[in-house]
Amino acid sequence: MEDETEKQKKHLAMVERLSKRPQSRSTKPESSTESTSSVLSHFSQLKTSIEFQLQQSQSLSSDPPNLKLHCQNISESISDLEKLVAQNSYLLPSYDVRTSLKIVSDLRQSLQNLTNQLIPKTRFSFKNKPTKKVPKDTAIPQPKQPPQPSIPDTRLATRESPGFRNKVGEVLVAEFRGSEVGEFAVSDLDSCEVRIIGSVRALFVHRLKNCRVYVGPVTGSVLIEEAEGCVFVMASHQIRIHSARKSDFYLRVRSKPIIEDSNGVRFAPYCLSYPGIEEDLRGAGLDTETGNWENVDDFRWLRAVQSPNWSVLPESERVGIVDVSNLKNADEEI
Amino acid sequence: MGLLSIIRKIKRKEKEMRILMVGLDNSGKTTIVLKINGEDTSVISPTLGFNIKTIAYQKYTLNIWDVGGQKTIRSYWRNYFEQTDGLVWVVDSSDLRRLDDCKLELDNLLKEERLSGASLLILANKQDIKGALTPEEIAKVLNLEAMDKSRHWQIVGCSAYTGGDGLVSVKLILDFEAARYWITWR
Repeated sequence: MEDETEKQKKHLAMVERLSKRPQSRSTKPESSTESTSSVLSHFSQLKTSIEFQLQQSQSLSSDPPNLKLHCQNISESISDLEKLVAQNSYLLPSYDVRTSLKIVSDLRQSLQNLTNQLIPKTRFSFKNKPTKKVPKDTAIPQPKQPPQPSIPDTRLATRESPGFRNKVGEVLVAEFRGSEVGEFAVSDLDSCEVRIIGSVRALFVHRLKNCRVYVGPVTGSVLIEEAEGCVFVMASHQIRIHSARKSDFYLRVRSKPIIEDSNGVRFAPYCLSYPGIEEDLRGAGLDTETGNWENVDDFRWLRAVQSPNWSVLPESERVGIVDVSNLKNADEEI
Repeated sequence: MGLLSIIRKIKRKEKEMRILMVGLDNSGKTTIVLKINGEDTSVISPTLGFNIKTIAYQKYTLNIWDVGGQKTIRSYWRNYFEQTDGLVWVVDSSDLRRLDDCKLELDNLLKEERLSGASLLILANKQDIKGALTPEEIAKVLNLEAMDKSRHWQIVGCSAYTGGDGLVSVKLILDFEAARYWITWR
């Protein structure tokens, strides 16, 4: 008898279990589609509200502090929106995830455009310290002007390092014998000849065309960006060459020179001469040839085979020793 | 969360920290790392890829990842973001022309969610060069004051070249990072 009741109980339990199963089966997918659509509708709600906010900001353009706050709010709502997508990415179909993310990035972009348009970019530069010359004959002290944040930031001039800039067809000579020199910049030159005699700590070269650049030892690093049709003769601890085309480099380097986004560049050993260069080279730790002038790393060509972007300059095409102590003499050399 | 807390516990036991060192090319990242480690800095080629240095400091083990900064390989920085405890951004204080680039790259980096918990140390390197900007000026250029309030950051001037000031700054990094670490997982 007991067995019988036991069996019946089990049977009932089983029936009950089975009866529940289809239910749970049917409710599950439903709930997921439900939540999918609720997520999507939530998403579109948020989206419309952000779009509305974006539209509104046009009217706030006359009120910069509020506008900034407004933009921050929008940016936060966009982040929330992105979070919503991320949290629900496992239940949303991949197509919806993709489109949602696209919408998020579009919103971001339009916010970016809007801020660029409405909020003036504060670019960094250095203030010219206002000369504190108070006109003595004014009896009434001037009331302090309220600071105007956006205006001064945009008009400030950038501090510049010593160097040669914006020249065409000139011979530019700098001599740093025995004087302490920091960084030196050579930029925006066309058809010039640059001679730097003596030693500098760092050299920045930017936008040179058809120039010849002769440099004594650089104790730090040389950074070259955008050079075309140039000849460089330089010794340095590090040399980086970016975006150079059809240029020749006569180098002595303690480490491997590197090129990036360059082509048609050729390399040869250092060949500069001026009275006292040996001493300068020794002082910079560059008195011995390292052979690194031909160990060029091309960051655009990370393979074992030789990069097509650079080559060793054939000996027959190399210039001889360039002596920059005499202006006329050197002009004839190359 | 479960796994994360386990990992954190393990890390706490080991007191091991991962420090990611990034910045534009030519800013002196490798030189700084070698200097911290007391190695020879006279011949350093621009980093193609990355270097890892493990340094024991007090009761901490610091894994310093020094990742190359050339434009071509900046896109690979992201591969090193995972589990970074401290972020070191190195600036060439004498390279005035590329400060805009520097700011742009830093801003991009700080947007990265995986780095949101990492404290930020900015090293204004090459202070020995005449004409270099001071750390205060660099802070202004990079607009550090406007940074997210939740991020711990600090800017320090240094010179990996002369080493004198450099060593002081190195000590500062570690103290700073260690303190941060201590606060987080005590």
